[in-house]
Amino acid sequence: MVPVLAVDSEYLFGLIGKFLARDDAGPRHDYGHLDADPRAGILEPWRFPWVDAVFDPDDATQPDNAVTFVHAAADRQPGHVVHLVGSFADLHTPIPLLPLVDTHYATVTLRIRKGEVHHYRLRIDGVWQVDPINPQRMLLDNGVEWSRFFTWGATRRLVLERWESRLLQRLCSHILPFHTADGETFFKRVHDAQGPANRAPHAYRLDESAGAVNFIDKLLAREEAHHLIDYQICLELIDRLLRLRNPVIEPWKLPREVFAELYREMATASVAGWNYGRYGNPRYFLQLLRRHTLTGVFSHPRYGGNAMTLGWKYLEERYRDASGATLFDWGRAIEAPLGRNSAYRG
Amino acid sequence: MERFDVVIIGSGAGGAPIAARLARAGHSVLVLEKGPLLRTQEEHPLGVSDFKRDELFATGAEKRLTLSGVANRFDSFYGSHVEPDLNDEPHIYEGADGLDRATIEGYTAQVVGGGTQLYGAVSLRFSELDLRLGSFNAGRNDIVGDPNGDVRREARDWPIDYATLEPYYCEAERLIGINGTRTNQGKPFSADHYQTPYAPNPISAYVATGMDALGLPRYRTPLAVITEDHAPSGRIVPAAAEAAKTGYVNRYGDPLGLKSNTWVALLRPLSGMANFTLRANCVVTHLEMAGDRIGKVVYRDVAGRPVEVAGKLVVVACSAIESVRLLLLSGERDPAFTARLNGNGLLGRYFLTHCFGGAEAIMPGRFDKSVSLDSDWATDACASEDFIRSQGLWAGGAIYNNTSDQALPISLARTHGSQDMDTIWQTFADDTALTGDALNAFFDANFGTRLSVSFMANQVPLFDNRIELHPSISDKWGRRVAYIRKTWHSHDVHLMNVFAEQCRRILAFGGDGGKGQFPVSEFGAIYMAANARARIANHILGGMRFGSDAADSVLDPNCRAWQFDNLYVTDGAFMPTSGGANPTLTIQANALRVADQLLARL
Repeated sequence: MVPVLAVDSEYLFGLIGKFLARDDAGPRHDYGHLDADPRAGILEPWRFPWVDAVFDPDDATQPDNAVTFVHAAADRQPGHVVHLVGSFADLHTPIPLLPLVDTHYATVTLRIRKGEVHHYRLRIDGVWQVDPINPQRMLLDNGVEWSRFFTWGATRRLVLERWESRLLQRLCSHILPFHTADGETFFKRVHDAQGPANRAPHAYRLDESAGAVNFIDKLLAREEAHHLIDYQICLELIDRLLRLRNPVIEPWKLPREVFAELYREMATASVAGWNYGRYGNPRYFLQLLRRHTLTGVFSHPRYGGNAMTLGWKYLEERYRDASGATLFDWGRAIEAPLGRNSAYRG
Repeated sequence: MERFDVVIIGSGAGGAPIAARLARAGHSVLVLEKGPLLRTQEEHPLGVSDFKRDELFATGAEKRLTLSGVANRFDSFYGSHVEPDLNDEPHIYEGADGLDRATIEGYTAQVVGGGTQLYGAVSLRFSELDLRLGSFNAGRNDIVGDPNGDVRREARDWPIDYATLEPYYCEAERLIGINGTRTNQGKPFSADHYQTPYAPNPISAYVATGMDALGLPRYRTPLAVITEDHAPSGRIVPAAAEAAKTGYVNRYGDPLGLKSNTWVALLRPLSGMANFTLRANCVVTHLEMAGDRIGKVVYRDVAGRPVEVAGKLVVVACSAIESVRLLLLSGERDPAFTARLNGNGLLGRYFLTHCFGGAEAIMPGRFDKSVSLDSDWATDACASEDFIRSQGLWAGGAIYNNTSDQALPISLARTHGSQDMDTIWQTFADDTALTGDALNAFFDANFGTRLSVSFMANQVPLFDNRIELHPSISDKWGRRVAYIRKTWHSHDVHLMNVFAEQCRRILAFGGDGGKGQFPVSEFGAIYMAANARARIANHILGGMRFGSDAADSVLDPNCRAWQFDNLYVTDGAFMPTSGGANPTLTIQANALRVADQLLARL
C-alpha cells in the first residue's frame, strides 16, 4: 500500500495556478516538439506529476519523494471521478484523486521511493487513459501506452539508447576535466576512499562524465524534451562518420584523440563526413552539449548527474588554502545525507 | 460581493507593510497575490521548503520564446521557478533598432513576498539629497552631458522630505529584520535597529582596503537577513553558526526564512488573525470605478474563475510595470476611468530604474565565496554634495561589493561573459575551447577569485521613458502585456562612467594593498549592454510619480490617485526620482507612512 501524504490546499494551489490556469489554450509552449498537442497550451507540463521532497524525521537517508498527481477537468467543471493506478502500487487497487476545494482539479500526493521510474494511468469518469497533462509516456510490452514519471536521482536510461549513451559519454568526458591528469588522480583517490564495502552498487558507473550522461537522459525525458531530436540526429551522424573513419573499432571505443579531433571540427562547424542536410550546424549541438554537460556535473544530484557529488567534490579538493581547508565547502549549505547542514532539509 | 476595509494587490515591499499595519489595527484586509505562497520548511506540510538550495531553481531549464511579433522569437530563455513565463506573460521592450523583444528584465518574482523573496536583500536608505534633486539642480549650469537642460527641467523634489520618511525607515528596519552597521552611513538615523552582521567573507577585505585607501568611509551593507532571533516576526535563528551564509542568496528564496522577505517578516505573523485574508494564485484583471471611487476589484481565482471584491480602500502594489499595466487595462475598459486617472497624460510616464554597473576583477587570492551573503561593504562617499558637484553630476549613488555572485559553479559558468539574464549561458556555450585542462584553468582562474563592486545611482527622469500596453501581444488571460519604452540620457552615461571608475579604483587600490595599480579589466555600466534599453536591475520605479501638483503627478503626497478617493499606489511606481540606492527599503518605509494615512481614514 503506497502511503498517501496529507498536504494542504495552499500547496496544491501553488502547483496549479501558474502552470494550468489560463484562458488562452493556444500553443504558447510548443518549442517545435509538441506539434498541435494540447499540452502545448500548458506551461511546463513536464512538471506533472509534481515530484517534491518530503522530510522523514525517522530516516536520515531521506529515502522518499512526495509525488502529486493532478487532474484538470477539460470542461472546467468539478465533479469528475478520477482514479490512479501505477507501478508504485498494486495495479488492481485504484487510488482516488480527491477534488481540490472550489476548483475543477483533483489531486493525490503519494510517498514514493527516490531513484525510481514508474508508469501509471488514470481512470477518468470510468475511462482508463494516459495522463492528459504529463508529456512523458511509454509503451509497455503489450503495446499499451502509459504515462511515466521518475523520482529524484533515477538512473534507469529513459530516452537515450545504450549506444547513444556510450557515445555521449565520450563527448561529455572530453568537455569535463576528469580525464586530465588532475582529474584522474582525483578519481583514483575517490575510488580508493570509497572502499569496496562503501561503493554504491550499480548506482553509478564511476565514469569520467560523473553522471552527466544520466543527467542529460533525464533532462531530455522531461524539462528539455524539445532537444531530444538534436541528440538523436547528431549522435546518429557522429556514429556514422566515426564508423567511416574507423570501420574496425566501435565508435565509443575509439581513442580519446579521435573524439578530441571530432570536437574541434564540430566547434568550427566544419566536420568531414557530416550530413549537413540532416543537421545544419554541428556547432549548435556542441553548444547545447556544453551547457547540458556542465549543468549535469555540478547540479544537485537529484537531477541525476553529479554522481556521488563528484563534481562538487572535485572543486572541494582542488581548491584549498595553505592550511589545507577547502575553499569550496559545499556540504556546509546542503542537506543531509548529501551535505551536513543541520538546519536545511532539502 | 465580499467587502473588506482594504484590498491590497501585491504582497511584496509595497503591499505587505500596509497589510500588516492595518490588520494589526483591527481592519479587515484582503491581499491578492498573483503568485503562489511558497513556504519555509517549518510551516510546510511536507516538512521541506518550496525554496531549495539548488542552482537550477535560480536559473532553470531552457525554454524558447514562441511569441509572434518579437525579434527574439525562438531564442532561448531561462527563468527562476518564481519568475513569470515569458510566453505566458512577457515584458516587451523596444530596442535601439526599433524592434520589439521579449525580456525577463523587469520582473522580480511572482510569489507571496514578491521581489523580496529573491532579492539580494540590500536594504539601503536613500539620502536626504535624493529626495530634493529638483531644488538641488535648479539653476545649475555645471551638469555634464546635459546640453538641453533636461536635468534641470525634469528633476523633481519629492513631496515629502527625508525627515518625514526617517521614522518610517527606522520602523521598517525594526519590523523587517536587517543586519548592518550605522556608523559611516551618510544618512541621519534617529534609531539603530540593525542586528549584528556576520563576519564578512574574507574576499571582501580587498574592498575594505580599497575604500580605506581612497578615503571612502565604509559600513557593513545593510541586508534584510536576520542574524539574531527577531521578535517582531517571531523568527528564530538556527543554532548552526551563520546559517544564512550559503551563497544561495541572490535569486534564491530562503528555505529557512532567515532572509526577511515580506511573507516571513510581515504577513506570516498575521496568519492567525480572522481579519486578515491572503489569496495567492489570484490575478487581478482590472479595477472598476464607481464615481470617484474604485468600486470593484476583479480577479481570477486559482481555477481561473472571475471573482469580484470591494474595498473601502484599494492599494495597488504589484510592481511598477505591472501596476501601470493594471491601471491602463482598467482604463481600456472604461474611458471614464482613464479620464479620471490620466487626465494629465502622465500615467506610465517617467518610468525609472537605476543607473547601475560596476567593476570586477580576478583578485590575487582565492576564497570560499559560497560562505557569504550578498554584500559586505558599502560606502556613501559618492552621494555627497561635494562629490556630485566635483564630477558634474546631478545626483549621487551608493557603492557596495557583491560577495555571493558567481560563488557556485553553475552560476560561474552560466554568467561567464554574460551581461544579463537575457544572454545567460551564451558565452560558456560559445567558448568551445574550454574543455579538459582548459576548463580546469577556467575554474582555477575564476572560482572563488572574482570580486565585483557595484554602484546604484539616480537615473534622469524623462517623459519619454514609459510603460504602455503592447499593441498586439497578450498574456495567457488575453490581456495586453506591458511595453517598455525607454532609453538612457546622455547625462546617465556620464554618471555611469564616473561611478564605474570609482568602482574600478576601489578594486585597483584594494588589490595591491593601496597602491592603486592592481589591474581591473572589467568595468562599465548597463548602457553598454546589447539590451541596454531593457535593463532594469529589477528596480522597477516611476510611472505614477507622486507630487504636490496634480498637473505634474499621478499621485498625491500620500500616494493616492489625485482624482480617486480610495485608490493608492505604493510600489516603486510612486517615485519621481529613483534614489541613489536599492529601492526596497524605501518602498517599505513609504508604505508604512501611507499606512498611517490610511489608518486615519478608516
